[in-house]
Amino acid sequence: MMKDNQQTDRFQRVVKAASIHYDMEIGKTMAAITDDFPDNPAAMKYFYEKHRNLIRNDSNGKLPSKKTIATLCIHVPVELILAVGAIPVRSCAGAFTTEQLGAEFLPAKSCPMVKSTLGAISYNLLHGKVQPDLIINPATCDQKKKLGEINEEISEKFYLLEMPSTKDSEESREYWLQTVFKLIRKLESVTGNKLTAKSLKRAIQEVAHAQRLYRKFNHIRTSAPVILGKDALLVTNAFFFDDLESWSFHLNLLNEELENRMKTGFRVVNERAPRILLTGSPSVFPNMKMPLLVEELGGFIVSEEFCSSSRMLWDTVAVDEWHLYDMIPALADRYLKPSTCPNFSPNTDRIRKLLSAIEEYKIDGVVCQTFTGCQLYDMETRIIAKAMEQAGIQTLFVETDYSPEDIGQLTTRVEAFLHSLKHNRKKQLI
Amino acid sequence: MNYLQNIKHKADRANVSRLRFWIQLFTFLLIVYGGYFFIHIGSQVPTFACPYNQGSPGTCYLIAMQHGLHLTWSELVSYRGLAFFTGFLTFIGFFIVFNKAWCGFICPLGTLQDWITKLRYKIGIRFSRYDSASFQKLKKIKYVILVLLIAIPLGMSNSFFGLAPINHDMQSPFCQVCPGRTILPLASADTSQIFIDFTNKTTLVMSTLGILITALFFVGAFAKKRFFCFFCPMSALQFLFSRIGILRLTKNGSNCTRCGNCNRVCDVGIIGIAEDITSKYIVKDDCMMCFKCVEACPEDNCLDVRVFNAKIFSSTQEGFFKRYIQPNELSLKNEKNDER
Ligand code: SF4
Ligand code: SF4
Repeated sequence: MMKDNQQTDRFQRVVKAASIHYDMEIGKTMAAITDDFPDNPAAMKYFYEKHRNLIRNDSNGKLPSKKTIATLCIHVPVELILAVGAIPVRSCAGAFTTEQLGAEFLPAKSCPMVKSTLGAISYNLLHGKVQPDLIINPATCDQKKKLGEINEEISEKFYLLEMPSTKDSEESREYWLQTVFKLIRKLESVTGNKLTAKSLKRAIQEVAHAQRLYRKFNHIRTSAPVILGKDALLVTNAFFFDDLESWSFHLNLLNEELENRMKTGFRVVNERAPRILLTGSPSVFPNMKMPLLVEELGGFIVSEEFCSSSRMLWDTVAVDEWHLYDMIPALADRYLKPSTCPNFSPNTDRIRKLLSAIEEYKIDGVVCQTFTGCQLYDMETRIIAKAMEQAGIQTLFVETDYSPEDIGQLTTRVEAFLHSLKHNRKKQLI
Repeated sequence: MNYLQNIKHKADRANVSRLRFWIQLFTFLLIVYGGYFFIHIGSQVPTFACPYNQGSPGTCYLIAMQHGLHLTWSELVSYRGLAFFTGFLTFIGFFIVFNKAWCGFICPLGTLQDWITKLRYKIGIRFSRYDSASFQKLKKIKYVILVLLIAIPLGMSNSFFGLAPINHDMQSPFCQVCPGRTILPLASADTSQIFIDFTNKTTLVMSTLGILITALFFVGAFAKKRFFCFFCPMSALQFLFSRIGILRLTKNGSNCTRCGNCNRVCDVGIIGIAEDITSKYIVKDDCMMCFKCVEACPEDNCLDVRVFNAKIFSSTQEGFFKRYIQPNELSLKNEKNDER
C-alpha cells in the first residue's frame, strides 16, 4: 500500500517540493547560526556540515546493510538498538516545512513537533532521508501516543512502546521493565539478530563513552563562556542521527579546542552577558528560533533542560553484573527513573533539576518555551513559575511554534527580558 | 591544603570495591585464624568472631550479650548489671569506629556470602528476583530475633507474667541456630559443630534449626546477595546505633537526580538510598557501608563517605566513568580526519 502511494505522482511532487523548501529552511537556519556570530569554534564545522546536509541522501555515511530504527523520544533505550546491530535515528522533527505536511493528518491545535514529525515520516523527509524499518513510538503524551494510528500508510511500521504515567512506584518500574523485554523481542525479530551480553555490554560502554564526553562538554561551557548555546544545541542535535563513534570523536575534538580557549582566556561573549537557562518544549533543528533569538540579542545560553539535549544525554547506566539479566533492568531504569519528562506525574524532579542547575551554573534568568498545542509543558509552566518565583529567578515564558510569524513579537519580549536581567545585575553590583 | 585536595581527587577516582575485596580477605583471615597468632581483641567484638572456632581472636558480642543478660532483676541493678553495661559500652566503642562497615568490610559471614556471589557471577547464573514488598516485611524478622535474644536469657533467670522461667537448654539461644557457629569452625577443619543434639526436645529442635539455617545460608547466598544479612540480629543491633558512628555515609539530595544507580548496585537493594532526597545521614536498615553506591553515583558530591564531617570519598562524574568504562570494550577511532 505504501509503495502504491509512493509511486503516485502527487506524492512524488509533494516530496520534491517539500525537499526544496526543507533544504531552504535548513540553509536559512544554518546561515543564522554560522554567519551572525564571529567566534565559531573550528571543530564545529563538522556539526555544521552534518546539519547542512540533513536531508540530503546518504549524507550520514550509513551502511545500507543495517536496519534503521527510528525513535520518537528519549525513552527508547538506544543501546538496545545498537546491540542488535541496527542504526538508531531519533526522528522528532523540527522543520516548519514538514509541520505543514503533517497538518494534513492532525487536528489544527496539535503540537508543531508532532505535526512536523508525522509529516516528515509520511513523506520520507527524515534525517538523511532514511526510510526506517521500524518506528518506535513511546506512549508519552497523548498526541504522540496516537501518532501511529493516524496515517495508515505508515501505521504498520509503528511500534507503540508502552510507558507508565508515573515513575515513582515499584509497580511502574516493573511494568516498564516488562515493556523493555517486549521491545527487545520486537527488535530481535525486525533485525534478525539476537541480543547478546557481549553486544549489549559494548553498546552500553560506547554510549557511556559518549556521555562522558558530553558531560565534559557541559562542564566546559558552564564554567566559562567559550561556546554559545546555539552551537551546543547543534552538537546534541547531531546525536539524533549521527554515527555514535564519529559523534564522540568530533565532540572530543571540540572539547579540546574549548579547553584551549579556556586556558587562553578566549571568550565568545562578554562576561557581563546574562546567563540563560532554556527549558520547556524542545528546540529541535532547524527550529532554532528561541536559542538564536536569545543569543542574537546578547544573552548567553549556558545550559538547556530539553529532551533534545541534556535530558537525552545526561543520565547513565550502572550495571553490577555484566550479564543480560542485570544489564537489561539497568537499562530500563536508566530510561525511566531520572527522566524529567512532563508526562510523568509527579514530576518534581524537573523543578529540583532546574533549581540545582540555576545554582550550579550561576544562572541569571530562565527562558521557558511552550509549543502551542503542547498541553503537558503548558501545565507545568505554572508549576515552574511558582518555583522560580520562590527562588527569586526571573523567568520569561513564551508560547511559540515552528512558524516564523511571531519573531517580531518575540524579539521585543526577549529584548525586554534581557534588558531587565542586565539592569537587575547592575543593581546588585551597586 | 592543595596536597590534601590532590589526594582526595585521587581517592574519588579509586576503585573502592577492589580495595574492599582485599580488606575483606585480610579481615576474614584475621577473624578466623587470628587467635592462632596470639591476637586478642576481647569479647565485645561487633561481628561474628565466633569462639566456637578455635582460631577466633575474640568473641562475638552477641554471645557476650546473651551470657551477660543471664541475670535476675535484682542482679541487673547490681554490679553484674554494671558489668553488662560496661561490656555494652565496649561494644559501642568498637562499633562506632567503623559503624556498619563492620558488615561490609569485616564480618566473615558477609565476606563468605560475597565470595559465593562472585562464584555465581563467574558461572553466569542470575540472582533471583523477589517481590520487594513482601521481602520488606520478611526482613523485619531480624528485630524479632534481636528482641528474643535479649528476652530469652532474661526469661531464664526471671519469670515473666508469672510463667515458669525458661528451660536452661535455651542457653545462648541465638548461638544454637547461628550459621557462624557451624561454618566458621570449618575454617579450622573442625566439623564438630555440625550435629543434631538428641538430648531432649529443646536441643533437638534448636540443633535441627541450626543445621537448617546453615543450609539456608548457603542456598540463600547463592540465590540472593547477602541473603543472611537480612535476618542478622547483629545488623539489627548495630543499626540502632549507626547514627553515632564516626564513619558516615551522607547524601546531598539537591545533587541527586534519583537516577537509581545507587539502588541498582546495592547488594542489599536499599531503595531509600536513591529515593530519599532529604536525609543527610543515609545509612538505612540493612546498609553494610560497602560504598558501592558511592562508586555508582554519577553526580558530583551527591553521596559522600565521611570521617566525622570530613569527606574521604565522594561520588564524582569522573570517578563514575573511570570505574565503569572499560576502554578495551570501545573501538575508538583515532583517525577520522577525512570527514572534517
Ligand atoms: S546514584 Fe546518585 S544521583 Fe542517582 S539516585 Fe543515587 S544518589 Fe541520586
Ligand atoms: S546503601 Fe550503599 S553502602 Fe549501604 S549497602 Fe547499599 S550500596 Fe552498600
